Amino acid sequence: MKILVINSGSSSVKYQLIETSFELIERDSDHVLALGSVERIGTSSAVHTYRPAGRDKVSVVREILEHRVAIAEIIRTLTAPETGVIREAMEIEAVGHRMVHGGEKFTQSALCTPEVVQEIEDCCELAPLHNPHNLRGYHAARQIMPDVPHAAVFDTAYHQTMPAHAYLYGLPHVLYTRHGIRRYGFHGTSHRFVGWRSRKLLGRPREETRLITCHLGNGASVCAIDHGRSVDTSMGFTPLEGLLMGTRCGDLDPAVLFYVMHKEDLTEYEASTMLNKHSGLFGVSGLSNDMLELVEAEAQGHERAKLAIDIFCYRVKKYIGAYAAAMGGADAVIFTGGIGENSPIVRARSTAGLEFMGARVDPALNEAAIKGKEADISTADAKVRTLVIPTNEELIIARDTLRLMKGKLQPTA
Amino acid sequence: MLGSSRRHRLAGCVARLAPPFTNLSTGRSHVEFRKLGIVGGGTMGKSIAEKVASNGIDVIVVEISQEKADRAREALADTLDRELEKWAITVSDKKVVLARVRFTADLAELAATDMVIETVNEDLEAKKEVMRRLGEVCPPDRIFITNTSTLSITEIAAASGRPDKVLGMHFLRPVPRTPLVEVVRGVETSDETYEQALALALALEKTAVTVFESPGYIVTRVLLPMLNEAMYVVMEGVATAEDVDLAMTLAYKLRVGPLEYADRVGLDKIMGWMDHLFREVGDIKYRPCPLLQKLVRAGHLGCKAGRGFFVYDGRQRAAGARKEASL
Repeated sequence: MKILVINSGSSSVKYQLIETSFELIERDSDHVLALGSVERIGTSSAVHTYRPAGRDKVSVVREILEHRVAIAEIIRTLTAPETGVIREAMEIEAVGHRMVHGGEKFTQSALCTPEVVQEIEDCCELAPLHNPHNLRGYHAARQIMPDVPHAAVFDTAYHQTMPAHAYLYGLPHVLYTRHGIRRYGFHGTSHRFVGWRSRKLLGRPREETRLITCHLGNGASVCAIDHGRSVDTSMGFTPLEGLLMGTRCGDLDPAVLFYVMHKEDLTEYEASTMLNKHSGLFGVSGLSNDMLELVEAEAQGHERAKLAIDIFCYRVKKYIGAYAAAMGGADAVIFTGGIGENSPIVRARSTAGLEFMGARVDPALNEAAIKGKEADISTADAKVRTLVIPTNEELIIARDTLRLMKGKLQPTA
Repeated sequence: MLGSSRRHRLAGCVARLAPPFTNLSTGRSHVEFRKLGIVGGGTMGKSIAEKVASNGIDVIVVEISQEKADRAREALADTLDRELEKWAITVSDKKVVLARVRFTADLAELAATDMVIETVNEDLEAKKEVMRRLGEVCPPDRIFITNTSTLSITEIAAASGRPDKVLGMHFLRPVPRTPLVEVVRGVETSDETYEQALALALALEKTAVTVFESPGYIVTRVLLPMLNEAMYVVMEGVATAEDVDLAMTLAYKLRVGPLEYADRVGLDKIMGWMDHLFREVGDIKYRPCPLLQKLVRAGHLGCKAGRGFFVYDGRQRAAGARKEASL
């Protein structure tokens, strides 16, 4: 079955057309037929990049003023005689949508009925930067493909298994009941995917495995997974909490905010932009939010690039230690995401000194881990395995969509 | 009447909660605004242009000469740099805004825009002249918005030759950060024009309040007597300018006190508005404070002149002994 997976942002639509079925899942051989993205939607120079499996990437620049036009363009490209991978749009049997926030209502993926869509809209207040854009993609795709099932797969859903002592803040309880102020956590689909893959690699049953998954990209979070369930994660009410990120500050004494707003005479808006877009690796280094660039700069003696990397890795290590304590130990530490998959330096520094808990990375294996491939980079004698696993959120979205259509959704992958 | 104002407030609520461009109930994006025209590249025109562009809509700003157009572009870049320093925007936000705004001296280019916002000086004759010329160059179905805080929409609209398609929208500076717009209907403004203005407010994430044509509308009419009274307090020697502002900022959690606010707007501008209200309404409570008149005559026009009620170093209040101007 061919399922179109859509991740819609404010001015972009990323997509993958995935062939999947229960038989293919069984053999773990469901696969991508084509993937691409439309960026700069809303301008006369939108860029559509498209890559059919096994063929070269093509890019087209043209006017695309709204998401509906972008999705129509995607369908046209997928079905075009010269570039296409399917003959007609009818071959797409379902659409899976990435949704950032499902609040407390969605503990797993859901088919987009009018009620479900209304509930997702109700969550917009919690994720004003994401949900509305995800929904725009949904409405656009629904208009173009009104007769196939559409499913929503939430970033927050996987973390809904956290216990109250992990998700509540030390605030007046009424703020939770009145406004839903709590830790929701994000990147759930990614943590779920790499958790599942690592159990397969380790050959261990869900019930007997404690994992610490580190999704390190421009946004970054760590998740503690026990019995296949998320029991804690570093992002909180919003994706601002936890690790140092590309441009986000992560953990911060909230009193700093009031003090800085007063000292610098900042409005709420300026303060929010400062924490979300001018902080993190970029803010500390004053150079870049790109880890590769920072590593190069550090090698040339750029001190604040080194400092930014050090803060980043130190925080990852702190969370690994905290989650090992929370679960009474761990069986594996997993790195994924753009930085987690591609930066041996970050993996090495984030795990240095974790020998006390049984994790020891083999420097040669760490350096040799190849982009896009799964790897065990631990020394032979390490009790806690350290793994690199490329994430694949789209695959989970496609599989959940299939399961929802067939009424066979299980809580985890 | 009640119905429409309630609808209005609802639109405002949605605008606050909703993301840019999306109508939550339908998921429909506001693509009807692809390109807006702005006449006047002064402080207001520039500020509206910045907001419109950052919400994904292309903008053409028309100035009276290419030289002025170029200067307006530099001024916009300066504003963006200041916001960048304050962490309000990112470098890429700045690039996007500058790429979306075109500055020109050719009014005829506005024929290709979806709607035109006029932002020239608060001078009735100047605004009527702009409307007359817009009426000539733009297709007859095009809606014109006049940004005014005190003038009569009906009178401005009449000059356009399409009074049903003209309406007032009073934006407040800085437009990107002020969530309010006053929407003012003239006598002949059609419902359709009004609905379009609300759609624009929504697309710009503004809460709209509907006002019926009356000098000063809400905010200017309520604010000016307060500023004027603060000036009287200084003039009568009741308190220093410094203490008036200190008291008002601390008492009412204002970011800027009334006198510094007046300095920042421009004392000549404040006096112009007061004069206009006084003449229109005839009520003595709008008579400009003599101290204000004195400062304006002396050329102490506020921040832009380096002194008004206070002394300024560039955009900042001067510190130390020089901070309060001798009046």
